[in-house]
Amino acid sequence: MTDFDRLLRVLADSHTEFILVGGVAAAAHGSARATYDIDIVYARTRENVERLVSALRPLEPYLRGAPPGLPFSWESGTILRGLNFTLTTGAGDIDLLGEITGGGTYDDLVADTEVIEVFGVKCFCLSLERLIAVKRAAGRPKDLETIAELEAIAEERKLV
Amino acid sequence: MSRIGREPLGFWLEPDPVIEAYKKDVDRTLIRENLKLTPDQRLRKLQSFMKFIHEIRGSARRRP
Repeated sequence: MTDFDRLLRVLADSHTEFILVGGVAAAAHGSARATYDIDIVYARTRENVERLVSALRPLEPYLRGAPPGLPFSWESGTILRGLNFTLTTGAGDIDLLGEITGGGTYDDLVADTEVIEVFGVKCFCLSLERLIAVKRAAGRPKDLETIAELEAIAEERKLV
Repeated sequence: MSRIGREPLGFWLEPDPVIEAYKKDVDRTLIRENLKLTPDQRLRKLQSFMKFIHEIRGSARRRP
């Protein structure tokens, strides 16, 4: 089970620059849908990647779904050579996204975030409007129910 | 929640007929209840629900 509290604390305490996106961001906006992992968009500067790697190292991140024993070195070079990583950790599952379809990078998204305080820490959460726009742009059939709910939330909040 | 950066996007996407069809099945009573909560309370509720699901699944697996 993913420990949202612990993962968010670890990231916030390390001053990693990240934006909460995906199901947990949707839940923060009022979604009632279950989600099993945390999705974050992280800033891809070397300094930030080093903070991210140091923060998660005690949780022993490993590629989710990869066969046991597959070589995987948890270091900043690995993250900088890749982009998006789906990981399992000692505190549950987390997706580290350098870029998201229809949304772009941390720098592209940060202007459309809100600061939320959850589990005693402050973090950036993608705004409801941008979350909807990103999911629409991604065009994945599996997101249709989620988009419908997010738009209903916007209507209930009188955003439209 | 406090917004940083620029003002709200200032536009809204055109209604999509497929999404509008899905919207009819959204349970707005759940949304209205969630909107009474703070983001912190919403995520604590989600965490609690996921813990419950985890326990139920574990219990089902342990059954002979």
